[in-house]
Amino acid sequence: MEETIKSVVLGLCSGGIYALLAVSYVVIYKSTRVFPFSQAAVLIIGAYIMWYCLIPWHLPIWLGFIITCIGGVILGTIVERAFMRPLVGQPILAPIVVTLCLMLFFRGIGILMGKGDIQGFGESFLPVGAWKVGFLHLPKIQVYGFILCAVLIAALMLFYEKTRTGLGMRVVHEDHVVAQNLGINVKRIFQYSWIISCVIAVVAGMLLGNIQGVGLALDANGLIAIAAVLFGGLESFAGAIIAGLAIGILQMLTITYIAPLLPGETTMMIPFVFLLLILFIKPYGLLGLVRIERL
Amino acid sequence: MNINRPCGTFDRNYFQSKELYRTPLRKALLALFIILMYVVPLLVGDYEISILTLICAFTIGMLGLQIITGYCGQISIGHAAFMGIGMYTVAIFQAHFGLSFWVCLPFAGLVPMFIGMLFGVPALRMKGLYLAFATLAAHFVIVYVISNWRSVTNGTDGMWMKRPGPLLGIDFTQDRNYYFLVLTITIIMTYLATNLARTKLGRAFVAVRDNDIAAEVMGINIAYTKIMAFGIGCFFAGISGAVGGAYYEYVNVEWFGLDDSIWYLGFLVVGGFGSIFGAIAGATVWKVMDEFSTLVTPLTESLLGGVAFYASAAFSLIFYSLIIIVFLVFEPRGIAHRWEIVKRSYRLHPFPY
Repeated sequence: MEETIKSVVLGLCSGGIYALLAVSYVVIYKSTRVFPFSQAAVLIIGAYIMWYCLIPWHLPIWLGFIITCIGGVILGTIVERAFMRPLVGQPILAPIVVTLCLMLFFRGIGILMGKGDIQGFGESFLPVGAWKVGFLHLPKIQVYGFILCAVLIAALMLFYEKTRTGLGMRVVHEDHVVAQNLGINVKRIFQYSWIISCVIAVVAGMLLGNIQGVGLALDANGLIAIAAVLFGGLESFAGAIIAGLAIGILQMLTITYIAPLLPGETTMMIPFVFLLLILFIKPYGLLGLVRIERL
Repeated sequence: MNINRPCGTFDRNYFQSKELYRTPLRKALLALFIILMYVVPLLVGDYEISILTLICAFTIGMLGLQIITGYCGQISIGHAAFMGIGMYTVAIFQAHFGLSFWVCLPFAGLVPMFIGMLFGVPALRMKGLYLAFATLAAHFVIVYVISNWRSVTNGTDGMWMKRPGPLLGIDFTQDRNYYFLVLTITIIMTYLATNLARTKLGRAFVAVRDNDIAAEVMGINIAYTKIMAFGIGCFFAGISGAVGGAYYEYVNVEWFGLDDSIWYLGFLVVGGFGSIFGAIAGATVWKVMDEFSTLVTPLTESLLGGVAFYASAAFSLIFYSLIIIVFLVFEPRGIAHRWEIVKRSYRLHPFPY
């Protein structure tokens, strides 16, 4: 029982990053109807930018954070403008193949940036150590990371709810043609979506790089977050957050209960088995829209 | 059936409609091409033969992906994993049951077909991207099982495979003879794929791709059609894996990463969706690029300072993905479409259209 509670709490903490990543997929999917597989590898870029700022260039943490975010903005702008915009209106296959190839492209860039090695931040830029709550050891990295994720997601939700641009984005989520008729610049909204998503992914990459080390293996987290997106329902922010946390908990439970029974990297495999189960049981996810089509 | 035929050319009876080749010239050119493919290895060295063998093997897999993606419009990003199942099926059957390659070959197709359908059934009930997610999951599950079921698959160490034994006195341990075998299998599979596109099922694939609701109204069982497309595609992938793995006489789980699945999809785009020629062109471009990148790698390494062992990995990733993206942005219909344009301008020569 104690073990279970421990893994649930720890899973909740690490699930924050999955929730953040899942949101970064949903942001783009909702507005452009293209599933951005490339976000899995944007993580790597983010982690490496932060690493460059902190280790070779010796910048302070806050400046590194800002530079990484600016890097995310630039990345999102370039990707949208150069690769995605020419494919608006093409059959759905074309943009998806482009996002898949972008994933490998970013991996390649990541190899060049990291000189083929796994790099570490030396000492973590978030406080280390752990709080002791009863029988629980809460690592401070995880908790601060969770708080950062929660703040980012809350800021994004506020942006969607309160600002005029956010309102426009919500209209685009409903229907592109309607949004165009209402005088909303749909292309601009697509660009905003990519920028927001890339910034989120970059920040998540930074946090993950802090925990796991900066390397190419980071994109596994991005791929696992795809399972979270599907579990939450492709079109739902709330679903993505819940599912991200759930995937985090699932992973910790896997480490506690399943990993001793099976050899190899079960943490990588179990979320995907879960994904297949979701497809069997509840294919549209927790809060996803069930689309009914007519001729 | 063929939408690319010139304006004003109609079939006037059922025999014409059934013909694979519309004109005698085409038949002659095709025959010439096939004869050429059989003659070329007698004239070139071992290096060229190895490239040709790989092109043939990957053409089979590409045809499978063409059926899934080009004809039926479903996206599979686990194609290389199913190719891997084909390889491992042959290797396991040879190592544990001592069967010959000839017995294993049909199983190398049927086992991935069965496993693929198992993974595809939940995803293909719905419209949209779900097959991509399911195959992504399938890829990780397959790789996990292969690398950890050590007693059967020998884990990450890989397995030895045997080439087919002599048939009609031909010794397949020689690369040149093996190439003839692979070429023959490729021709048979290409013929099957060409004819599949002309059957009721093949037409149903295209109908589902173009408009699935309209297809359903016309009485096509969408889920069945998609699952059949995926199963047949995986069958092709498995055969391709078996043939390719036997060429190296060794299989390893690292040979079918997620990258390879994405390259499959990407070079299918480069070749062109929805035509057999597109699949062949895609596989050819892919393998020629492979050789090109291995040739260029020493150059990039010297550019980056000699010690850049990581440069080759990065170079091939960046180079391939940029090629595919540029093709998608500027020529989304691929080489096959370009070829049609060339043919048309030749036919209409003095006039622009």
